[in-house]
Amino acid sequence: MNQHLHKAGVKFLNALSRHSELIMQVYLSGSLDERKYNSKIIENLTQLGILWRPESDTQLRLKHAVRSLLEGSLHDERNRQIDANVGSALASLKTLAQHYKEALHHGRFAESEAHLGDLTEHVYALTESLANSVRMLFSRINNEFGYVASIDAKIRENELAQAQVSELLTQLEMFRFDELSEQAGSNRELRHLLVVTLQHSFSKVTQELSIVQARLLELIGRFREFRGRTQLLKGFLLHMEQKPDFTPTNYSQLSNVPMLFNQAASILKPAAVDVHRIEHEQDLQQLVGAIKAYDRTKSRQHIERATHNIQVEVQSDAHFDENKLKLAVEAYFCQVIDSGERLTALDYHQQHELEFDPEVWIYQVVGGYQGLTLEEQSYFTLDLDGANHPIYDGNYIIQDVELGLR
Amino acid sequence: MITEQGRILELLLSGAFICQISDEDAWRYLKTGSNGDKIESQLNVLNRTLASVADGDVFFAAYQSLNDNERKQLGSQFQEVSSNLVPLVEWLLLVQQANSADMPVTQGAAIRLNELQTTIEDTPAFAEQLEKISRYRLFGSTSTQLDGQLKQVFKRLTELGYVLKPNAEKQIFIATGKIEYLYDVLKFIDETEALSLTEQAENAAQQGSLL
Repeated sequence: MNQHLHKAGVKFLNALSRHSELIMQVYLSGSLDERKYNSKIIENLTQLGILWRPESDTQLRLKHAVRSLLEGSLHDERNRQIDANVGSALASLKTLAQHYKEALHHGRFAESEAHLGDLTEHVYALTESLANSVRMLFSRINNEFGYVASIDAKIRENELAQAQVSELLTQLEMFRFDELSEQAGSNRELRHLLVVTLQHSFSKVTQELSIVQARLLELIGRFREFRGRTQLLKGFLLHMEQKPDFTPTNYSQLSNVPMLFNQAASILKPAAVDVHRIEHEQDLQQLVGAIKAYDRTKSRQHIERATHNIQVEVQSDAHFDENKLKLAVEAYFCQVIDSGERLTALDYHQQHELEFDPEVWIYQVVGGYQGLTLEEQSYFTLDLDGANHPIYDGNYIIQDVELGLR
Repeated sequence: MITEQGRILELLLSGAFICQISDEDAWRYLKTGSNGDKIESQLNVLNRTLASVADGDVFFAAYQSLNDNERKQLGSQFQEVSSNLVPLVEWLLLVQQANSADMPVTQGAAIRLNELQTTIEDTPAFAEQLEKISRYRLFGSTSTQLDGQLKQVFKRLTELGYVLKPNAEKQIFIATGKIEYLYDVLKFIDETEALSLTEQAENAAQQGSLL
């Protein structure tokens, strides 16, 4: 019997792997396109219970067991069904436990082993299916029902998920651990399976479900808010279409203006620069520097600064005060040439009662002499009359100069 | 150096809306403990008070007591708000319909201009809608190109503080709390004028589905 089962199983799995293309096509599209595949293969798969025909005139579909296997291992979001038949699972657990105890009691150990194996399988299947259900709910929440587009669809999906959560919770209430522990009695294996494992899974699942429930409520709140907003926007536009001249009352004239429409005007203007603040010196300098650079680039385009002719006729208007002084110096030189005698500058100053400051006069005479060309200088001799400074040597103080011809 | 409190006071007095998107530090500061009271007492000196809308998500400065000048200011402000409502609502719906998830624009929602543009370009109805929206005085676009219209609309929205462009290089905009303010204004008008906008929309949708 066992050998036969093994063989049949291997054959079944082989068929699955051999026709995996076909099966995935059916899984994704929902039904089989019979024209594309060999009728023999289809026949074979139908016999193995992989494909079936729900009604005589419909197309072939995948069997639920195969589909749920794929959904489970592919973590497919489309799987929305939650299998929560805890009641019948518990009943079968109890039955199996009784079988096991009876076999033990009568000393049929081989049989009891088989029953224990079955029981273990069932317990783990139950815990796995519970964990799976929770995982599925979470995966749907985590992408916020992203597999449906509109907000309304999301709200419906959310409501479905909430119904499933409450269904799962009522199912979980069917766990009666006192009964289970009574059933297990003092048997170590039974206690481990029925009490420890189940209780562990139970507490985990209830905890996660409460989180799921909270998240679902939060999400539906948000979705409703979104829907409300959309309707508000659409409603407003509809209203404006129907009554284009609608204007809300001016709420700002009410005695009690709502906060929404009480928005104070801006009163801050930029502060002025304080040039006496030392800590701002650096920044201000940079600013000034930036202004210069800015000006230079701009000024190239200034029309008034472009090259044009400059009127030069009125240049002679510029007079210099020194002219009188210069003329006087020239007259002094001429007198020396005419008379051919040596004459000091201060004497000349006194003779002619010049109004210049004597010191300025002497400077100008020296300057006039220096201003001559070298050839002209050679006709004159300029003697300096003065003395060394009494304290600081190297300083020569000129009191007068004497001009003569060579 | 200016203190955080001073900085926020400055923001408020310059008429800014403070939300988590526009200035998270300032928003957190106003949210925590007694900081709001400190700011409040300073605002009171200038006949201002700290106002918050959208369940305390958006802060701004309001007048504490209203005299003729303030009322005049508020009146002109209200005119502006109410005349801007239609263009803004149409824009909100356009963005919502053009994004595939059908999600309304809310605070913090990111709008990718390139994606939006592609969708609008592909759908003549959206393109027409955009053209209409961009012609409103609020946006004031004169462009005949879709690209220019969209850019102008978003430029104006950024200036008005409804969206924010976090990265100057990228054409991604984030809706600020001022959008929430806009929804609040709509809700308020809906309730005060007893327009029952939601019902109107629902009826229209049902009639649409019957047809």
